[in-house]
Amino acid sequence: MKKITASFIAMTLLLTSLFSCSKNENKDDNPANGFDKAAMLSSYSDNLIIPAYATMQQKIAALQIASDAFIANPNASTQAAVKTAYSETHLQYIKIATFNFGPADNALLDNYLNFCGGLDYSFTADGELTGFSVDTNSINNNISAGAYNLEMLTRSGFYSQGFPALNYLYFGNEAITKMDSKRAKYISDLLARMKILIDKVANDWIGYRSTFVSNTQTNSGSPIAYIVNQMSYQLDLLKGPRIGWPLGKQSNGKVFETKCEAYYAGISMALAVENLNSIKRLYTGNNVSGKGLSDYLVALNQSTLNTDVLAQFDIALAKLKAIPDPLSNSLLTQPTKVDEAYKEIQKLVTLMKTDVASATAVQISYADNDGD
Amino acid sequence: MIKSLQQRLSFDKTVSIAPLITFRIVFGLLMFLSIVRFWWNGWIESIYVQPKFHFTYVGFEWVQPLGNIGMHLIFLCIGLSALMIVFGLFYRFATIVFFISFTYVELIDVTTYLNHYYFISLVAFLLIFLPANKDYAVDMRLHPEQRRLTVPAWCVGILRFQMTVVYIFAGIAKLNPDWLFEAMPMRIWLPGKTHLPIIGSLMYETWVAYLFSWFGAVYDLLIAFFLLNKKTRPIAFAFVLIFHIATAIFFPAIGMFPFVMIANSLIFFSAAFHQKLQSYLLFYNNRLKKTIPNSQPYYFHFAPLMKAALYIYIAFQLVFPFRYLLYPGHLFWHEEGFRFSWRVMLMEKSGAAYFTVKDKISQQKIEVNNREFLTPLQEKMMSTQPDLIVKYAHHLANEYRQKGIQQPAVYAEIYVALNGSRSRLFIDSSVNLAAEKLGWQHYNWVLPYLKKSN
Repeated sequence: MKKITASFIAMTLLLTSLFSCSKNENKDDNPANGFDKAAMLSSYSDNLIIPAYATMQQKIAALQIASDAFIANPNASTQAAVKTAYSETHLQYIKIATFNFGPADNALLDNYLNFCGGLDYSFTADGELTGFSVDTNSINNNISAGAYNLEMLTRSGFYSQGFPALNYLYFGNEAITKMDSKRAKYISDLLARMKILIDKVANDWIGYRSTFVSNTQTNSGSPIAYIVNQMSYQLDLLKGPRIGWPLGKQSNGKVFETKCEAYYAGISMALAVENLNSIKRLYTGNNVSGKGLSDYLVALNQSTLNTDVLAQFDIALAKLKAIPDPLSNSLLTQPTKVDEAYKEIQKLVTLMKTDVASATAVQISYADNDGD
Repeated sequence: MIKSLQQRLSFDKTVSIAPLITFRIVFGLLMFLSIVRFWWNGWIESIYVQPKFHFTYVGFEWVQPLGNIGMHLIFLCIGLSALMIVFGLFYRFATIVFFISFTYVELIDVTTYLNHYYFISLVAFLLIFLPANKDYAVDMRLHPEQRRLTVPAWCVGILRFQMTVVYIFAGIAKLNPDWLFEAMPMRIWLPGKTHLPIIGSLMYETWVAYLFSWFGAVYDLLIAFFLLNKKTRPIAFAFVLIFHIATAIFFPAIGMFPFVMIANSLIFFSAAFHQKLQSYLLFYNNRLKKTIPNSQPYYFHFAPLMKAALYIYIAFQLVFPFRYLLYPGHLFWHEEGFRFSWRVMLMEKSGAAYFTVKDKISQQKIEVNNREFLTPLQEKMMSTQPDLIVKYAHHLANEYRQKGIQQPAVYAEIYVALNGSRSRLFIDSSVNLAAEKLGWQHYNWVLPYLKKSN
């Protein structure tokens, strides 16, 4: 018993000395030999997130101009112009889609602009509103009714606005011949609503920045947990609704070519490549040296893991780039190439959900709960 | 030691009822607050209403969620019975209702298993038999003649025993090479805590991870003895406070556990301490005016039967956590005999699981979207635990049979990372899991654990 008492006292001393010496050591907030998470988060907001929203504001304004020209005078040339503006805007949106937390999450930006259908809805039959479907019936009903509520929280509501609706209205069959005042008004209303949402999120980020930067925890709901979770969520989207499910992974090879993202614009692969590039930027902190999650992993003595993750990004990117647009064609003509990309993306998903999540002590779970 | 254990659990020797009264009140209050918190967080819906499928326990497949209204009603039952326990109102009835409703909820889904929920179920079960309402209780206003000042020693002793079991087994569980010699998983978890004031910057230091690991192990192994010993009790309780408040600050996701342990550690204090504590309670002294308590100690009608049951309970508590010894392979990897053994915050484990359903007849092949069937929490838990994997595979076979696949075979490619080692293939991907049995036997389709090579 005496020995036990002695060791207990020893532990007490150790603990108290720990608390007392730490008080003296820690004068500034930047640990000398540690990694500065606040600086990392500052860099994320200033070098990646906020500039991307600013660019998005410019792109949507440019799209409005091209769109107005197309509406006023629908022909092949104005359609080509709107295609360029639309593609640039959609690609820019893909860049900000990876910041689907904080202000963007509060505004339901992703639901209203580029609804993916959610990961919990599988592809089983044609005509179901899943993945990157477009609800053409609702769109046409809205147009002929002339009155619509774009704030409704319904799947068909999400599927009849934002990029899915625009790419159908600009590039769908008879997009030029069917243009009339009602259709024109619907397009303008959609764009106006997209602009309001984007402006709101961009402005909210100015206030949210300090919350984001100052919270260096890794619990669920913290910025670092958001970043790690977003990477795995976005990779799940890429693997599932973007390429795997249209390829027929859930349906014994039955292809769903019309469920490709931006089907009518035919730029699904460009968007998919941009998606993976954006996830990589989220991982590296837009390549700002020493300020990315990748650098945090290196600081945690996980440089081998970091090298492997970066290499896997590049392998998956190369495989994605090998698939030509439009994806709706490639699914039928070159399914092997899509399958190869799918497999490499899955390897990246595994790295994110197991190795990276473990190394950063972040839970992959989109909800809060107790654990032990 | 043995002798004192006999005394502590004696049916003949009597002790003051006071510790039992505090325990009843504190436990009831804490349970009530836990239920309010659970409800407030919306977890009744997200955990027990929204999921389409639940991982039931072997032998308890009949325990199913009761729908939105039903689940809210059962939580209402738990909350109200907890309050009734606090006030000592229809105590026997309240403890039975609490035990059954709480345990029912915990049995619905394995993925929500937490050691302190198991602890609460055990304590609730014990309380049914303990006369914790024989003083300072509404019941005693209704039946003043039943009031007692003393109870058989085991009534307090068994609760101290239960607390001791939690601590010591949690300590024994920490005596593994990863915890002691690699400071795992502390070494992974602490760098995520640099936001803490004062000590934050130390969290990157490896020696701090070792200090936390070793201190945690020593604390768990010894704290119960220091709480039992009268001389060391005050300082030991100070350690209880420091330790559990620290864990609550460091690991907020651990939920109510620290507070449950702090509050219930009061059971170790003396009768005099508890009488002093209770003297601050409303109406405490008034209760004396009403009647003179029955001077006889509380008496159990079926003492020999109770005694036998008590010994069986104690033996079970001492033996069951060691059942992992009956299984081959690395405990953390296989998790056979892992639950119900006080293994708290012991490892960092994460997985990614990809299931494929194949029709033996038509040769159809379908890759499963886990999110179609599971919540993110369920998917996370399932991905690393073999019994949940096989349970899910059986569920998938059923689901796809209904979708028209005549003879579904279920295969899984699963990768798991454990305690800082890189992710590895977890199970044999060529095994049809739909044909594998769920049960207590060793699952030989789990690949052997390989020591890390980082």
